[in-house]
Amino acid sequence: MTTRSVRRRYVGETRSALRHAGVRAVRIWNRRLHFYVGLYFLLFIWLFSISGLLLNHSQWSVAQFWDKREESSSVLEIRALSATADEAIAHELSQQLGVVGEVGRIERAENGRFRLQVNRPGRTLQIEADLAARSASVKEITVNAAGVLDALHRFTGVRVDDPKEQRDWLLTGLWSFAMDALAVGLGIMVLSGVYMWFRLRKNRRAGLVALSAGVVSCGFFVIGLTTLF
Amino acid sequence: MAPHPGLSGGRLNRVYRWTRNLHLYVGLFMSPFLLIYAVSVILLNHPARPAAGQLPTRASETTVRITDQENSLDLAKDIRGQLGLTGEIGYVNRNRERQRLSFPIDLPGRKTVVRVDLATGGARIERTETGIGDAMNYLHKMPGPHNVAIRGNSLFMSAWRWLADATVYLVLFLSASGVYLWLVLKAERKAGLLVLGAGMATLVGLLMAIVP
Repeated sequence: MTTRSVRRRYVGETRSALRHAGVRAVRIWNRRLHFYVGLYFLLFIWLFSISGLLLNHSQWSVAQFWDKREESSSVLEIRALSATADEAIAHELSQQLGVVGEVGRIERAENGRFRLQVNRPGRTLQIEADLAARSASVKEITVNAAGVLDALHRFTGVRVDDPKEQRDWLLTGLWSFAMDALAVGLGIMVLSGVYMWFRLRKNRRAGLVALSAGVVSCGFFVIGLTTLF
Repeated sequence: MAPHPGLSGGRLNRVYRWTRNLHLYVGLFMSPFLLIYAVSVILLNHPARPAAGQLPTRASETTVRITDQENSLDLAKDIRGQLGLTGEIGYVNRNRERQRLSFPIDLPGRKTVVRVDLATGGARIERTETGIGDAMNYLHKMPGPHNVAIRGNSLFMSAWRWLADATVYLVLFLSASGVYLWLVLKAERKAGLLVLGAGMATLVGLLMAIVP
């Protein structure tokens, strides 16, 4: 055996070993990523799963919250406002009343009163201010745990049918970010799971059947219905 | 699939193998559903697309036979059948004084509004193709808490309602079986516990700050 052929064989074996080590490292880290992401988001997944189930079964007694709501009202004095635009008035009014939360609907009533809704999961404040008389009535609506879950599931601060609406409370932004992170986490878990399955030669055929069944049934709803009908 | 070396006892090995196989196959079946929920979360959280009202709509007019239906949903179903449309009927608006009936018929990715003059039978159909993103958003929100009394008036919505429930139960199974499969791996327990604790702390912290 010549020196050159020995060196070629050595280089070839080294490359092969490195490739195997690389593949093994990817496999190990992919598996770790799968269950670490899953463990980090475990409670988030349970929260959104259970609240989703309650949203889809609002007739269940355990999901009832609106009929069991508690309401209280108070009238408070306010100072003259310097703001003129609606959003700015809402902000200044909230500050004066010491109210924090996501500002929802803002409207001017026919009687000239300024109406504002401030939301937090589990509590809604309906404020009606008479700016001329410098007084504001505050109606507080609180709901039970099912109502809190319902609100948490949908607490984004934005509406699909109104792209202009923006989040105006820092914590709404943080909660929305957590929702985004959970969505990305789910994507990572799906992709890492598919990779792990693909590495298992013995389970490929049965896995392909399961994955195909999921893709076909899901695809039927997402694109199949409008294509067929 | 080889049994995990960290396990002892044939019975435990069998439980591990069954759990792992079920986790694998259920997870693979659920993968596209989870991706749809994940993508629609992003879309619902960051609405940038034009709303349905701003998309091009195709309108057509025809005549339908008005049957003597007292129940508005039954009348809407009858008209849906006459028009050969498929989809879930939403809120039915019936104005008995003006003899008008209007209702939406939804499919994931398509919104159709039907307006009927009950006196003459004249019907106007407005169809809007809302796209794949809206289809995912629609499926994410369905069946939902609204219009409970009439929800599931189409075959596809009845099936989707069942699948949406199944998704929740299977996700709960996947997470529970995933926890078991992690616990079996002794080498990963400490790091896993730290990650689990970090996730719990994040959620509890957020809830304490947000919920009054």
